[in-house]
Amino acid sequence: MNLAIRILLRELKSGDVMTLVIALILSVSTVTGIGLFVDRLQSSFELQSSTLLAADRVIRSSQALPDEWRQQAHDFGLATANRASFSSMVFSDDGLQLSQISAVTASYPLRGEYLVEQSLFGEGVPSIAGPKSGEIWVSSRLASLLNVAIGDSVQVGEKALLITAYLVRDPGSSMSAFAVAPRAVMSLSDLAATEIIQPGSRVRYALMMAGESNVLEQMAQWVTPKLADNQEWRTPRSGGQGIGATINRAESFLLLAGTLAVMMSGVAMALASNRYVKRHLTQTAVLKTLGATPNKIGQILFWQLCAVFALGAGIGLVLGWFAQELIALSLDVLLSTTLPPPSLTKVWVGLMTGLVSLVTFCVPLMSRLLTISPLTVLQPISHLSGRSGLLYLIGFAGSFALMVVYTGGVLLPTLMVVSVAVVASLVGSVGFGVFSLGRRLSAGRTSGWQIGLASLRRRLGANLFQLLVFTLIIMLGLILTGMRTSLISDWQGQIPENAPNHYLFNVQKNNVEEVKSQLTDLSLVQSDWYPMILGRVTHINGEEVSELFPPDTNQPEMLERELNLTWAKSLGSDNQVIEGTFSAESEGISIESYVAEEINIRLGDTLTLFVGGEEHTLPITSIRKVDWSSMQPNFYLILPQAVLENFPANYITSVFVPTSKQQDFYRTMSNYPTISLVNVGDLITRIQFIIAQVSQAILLVLVFIVTSGALVLVASVRASLDERLEEGALLRTLGASKQLIQQAMLIEFGFLGTAAGLIAAVAAEVCLFGLQVFVFELAPSFHPLLWILGPVFGFTVVTLIGVFAGRSVIKVPPMRMLRAL
Amino acid sequence: MKSPQSIAIKTEQLVHTVSTSAGELTILKGIDIEIKEGESVAIVGASGSGKSTLLGLIAGLDVGTGGESYIYEHALSNLNEEQRATLRGEYIGFIFQSFHLLPSLTALENVMLPAELSGDYQAQEKAMAFLQQVGLQHRLDHYPRQLSGGEQQRVAIARAFASNPKILFADEPTGNLDADTGKIITDLLFELNASQGTTLVMVTHDNKLAQRCQRQLIMAGGCINEPRTRSNESESDEVSEA
Repeated sequence: MNLAIRILLRELKSGDVMTLVIALILSVSTVTGIGLFVDRLQSSFELQSSTLLAADRVIRSSQALPDEWRQQAHDFGLATANRASFSSMVFSDDGLQLSQISAVTASYPLRGEYLVEQSLFGEGVPSIAGPKSGEIWVSSRLASLLNVAIGDSVQVGEKALLITAYLVRDPGSSMSAFAVAPRAVMSLSDLAATEIIQPGSRVRYALMMAGESNVLEQMAQWVTPKLADNQEWRTPRSGGQGIGATINRAESFLLLAGTLAVMMSGVAMALASNRYVKRHLTQTAVLKTLGATPNKIGQILFWQLCAVFALGAGIGLVLGWFAQELIALSLDVLLSTTLPPPSLTKVWVGLMTGLVSLVTFCVPLMSRLLTISPLTVLQPISHLSGRSGLLYLIGFAGSFALMVVYTGGVLLPTLMVVSVAVVASLVGSVGFGVFSLGRRLSAGRTSGWQIGLASLRRRLGANLFQLLVFTLIIMLGLILTGMRTSLISDWQGQIPENAPNHYLFNVQKNNVEEVKSQLTDLSLVQSDWYPMILGRVTHINGEEVSELFPPDTNQPEMLERELNLTWAKSLGSDNQVIEGTFSAESEGISIESYVAEEINIRLGDTLTLFVGGEEHTLPITSIRKVDWSSMQPNFYLILPQAVLENFPANYITSVFVPTSKQQDFYRTMSNYPTISLVNVGDLITRIQFIIAQVSQAILLVLVFIVTSGALVLVASVRASLDERLEEGALLRTLGASKQLIQQAMLIEFGFLGTAAGLIAAVAAEVCLFGLQVFVFELAPSFHPLLWILGPVFGFTVVTLIGVFAGRSVIKVPPMRMLRAL
Repeated sequence: MKSPQSIAIKTEQLVHTVSTSAGELTILKGIDIEIKEGESVAIVGASGSGKSTLLGLIAGLDVGTGGESYIYEHALSNLNEEQRATLRGEYIGFIFQSFHLLPSLTALENVMLPAELSGDYQAQEKAMAFLQQVGLQHRLDHYPRQLSGGEQQRVAIARAFASNPKILFADEPTGNLDADTGKIITDLLFELNASQGTTLVMVTHDNKLAQRCQRQLIMAGGCINEPRTRSNESESDEVSEA
């Protein structure tokens, strides 16, 4: 073992062992980083799921719950609390902001605790008691948006409330980690004074209960028959399914991306091992002539690999820890909660990745040293026997197995392998053409062009592989850049000029005429006003929705939640009937075409809706195509007026407010504190911010992929180093200047990098086109930035790495080289 | 202890055939030789005559496809690679044309290697003693690339003797060296060989070097043609010059 380690330590200075160690560090740290981060997300979620409901059981409803239910729970011996959640404008002297407010009774929360803080953006300290009457706790984000601090007052509806703490976590509201609206908590006893809650207002009421499980079961039995379709009995488990599934999907996705880094590191390992083996064939044969038995050689290799693994995995784990910390940090502002520290349960994923990579990419190659004949010392063999294809296959099989473990299924890895294979064959054929063309164009010239381009063509296999690796990396980077910088602005660019930029909702019927005339006085263009009534689809053609689309499966969005329903006398210009007919007197439903397709419903089919305690079964009489980019209020379902007009409704409209009139508009609206106002510009800024944050986290994973790609390039240049040294020495002996060889290398790597960048730009443009047209349904646009960034990045990075890895070709005196031949 | 006249190496109808793209190629066609303990023997012959193959087979680096080869009483064809390696560690030292020092180890560590492989705790003392004998006591910590060709071959000689071999195989030991250095190396080799009482088997192109051995085996076309013997008296006059 001593001998093994001693030889290894010496070998560390040679690049091959170093490459092996770095490759291992990269695989382990990538996977560990992702694993630990997702583990933090998951345990944060699990930690919260017990307190997610802030109670043991909750009845949720879109209408106020009868007080006799609370009384009954109390009589059973359960602790109870009430909560009403709604979104409303919060006003300060400096501004106004839509926020998500919970109004709670003093006994809330029954389970879990608040996290509050006395300074902005602090970590938070636990508190069981909530805000007292007359007080409000606001999140740090809301406080900074309104430019207020502890001790200041804010206006919620008609009521002024004093800020006494910054809210870090509200135990019952951790459902959305990426909340768009900032949060606040106030006392339920102040709610009436705000005058926000009017008939038809959007409020989620909750009756919270805690106690012995058999008592809870009693309560469940008592209340379940009384529950209407818009009322729901929730257990901690039923609350969390969605988030759990989302986190699992995120983990699979990130780990799949990470697999790219693992695979490339594996290739770098294989290349380094191959060169190590080549360079050690004779040495091993010498050891054998000195009496080292195959067993002894095996032991030496085993201990060396153990040491490489210990070193690589050790550093990889530490680096992975930092990586997850960075990912968490870059998402910090977005995550509404503080993540718990990483647990060590996910460390095994990183370690296993390192081990599998080493065993599948490295050990098969290394094992050739065991079988090398000692006779090699007398009759050197020029190259190893074939089978290298098979050896790489073992490596890729290992990576595939890892992917299956990461994603817990065969489908995603197979999809990924197939798509990589398709891209590989495309890049391969394009690259082959480009290299051949380069060779033909440079033929007959005696400059570095000829030597450089000939070299690309000669080491075709290796260079096509480089091309693929860098094309993939640059493409991913460009798509991210494109998403970040242009998708949103493309969308904004396609919004018609003077399209509405503010939504007004929660407008009471008796306010509508007044607000209308105020807006007209300000000469603001407003769209039509629509009433909104909440309702849920319960049956399709008489069949229960929960049977057609079980809740665990990918339920269409329209069936997941309560919908905004409306009626209308006529359709806006952004609605186009494509089947059936629409009229104000129609006795059926008009459905938007996309959701109709999603739930697979046709003209004449029936939908049953549960609205305000009544069930209505109606036929589909028209299907509409809606231009959502018009920014006008639009609805999935338009019902007959006769069905809806008796329910309390609140109204929605949209307004275009030019910058010059913004101040007047806000001043006018502050007279209607109960009306909610959304500035689309703010919303877009917020969405842009979220996309920027998320892509920054993905960018971190990309950094690992780029690094492993760079390592592959270094390893592959080193794999051809002996050949390059020989060529360089010969050329220089024949009189070629250092500059010529340098120029040849620059051209070789520069051409490779630029080609990768160009192909990547084409591919990224195609992907963005697909995203724009098919996913976001926007008109396609061209992204000139990508066509500059791609080739420039490719040229710079590949040339730098290539010339660095091959620098000894220029540095080593030709005499030394030729003597060593 | 074996008697001075015991047989160190013996082959019986040793045949070696390899398959090539052009079909079977017989490199050794039934070789019979006997080398006594303490004897020095040169194998000479044109390129491709089978010298190196013969050396490899009698040294146990590989086994022939037919016949038998013995190191002392051990029949090599009965041994597997593991056992042959152990046998090599015990009986055999090697000197190569291109030195074959491990580039990542210093001169001292290279010489220590055989003893370390056999688990000898005195590896370092022994190695230092041998490096002193070859005149490299001031180069202990130098790496092979920092040594001249002659110095590298001296390290290789020290390494070969460091395992106290009974038989020393040398493959063109001066082939990569200039005449003067070659002479120094040859002198050193024969000197140590005499003092250690080793059996020396050497493959060489160099007739003068061959003639310093007690016996020459001439290989041609895979056969030993005509064993020649040489009187020891004239040895000092026929030192290799070129």
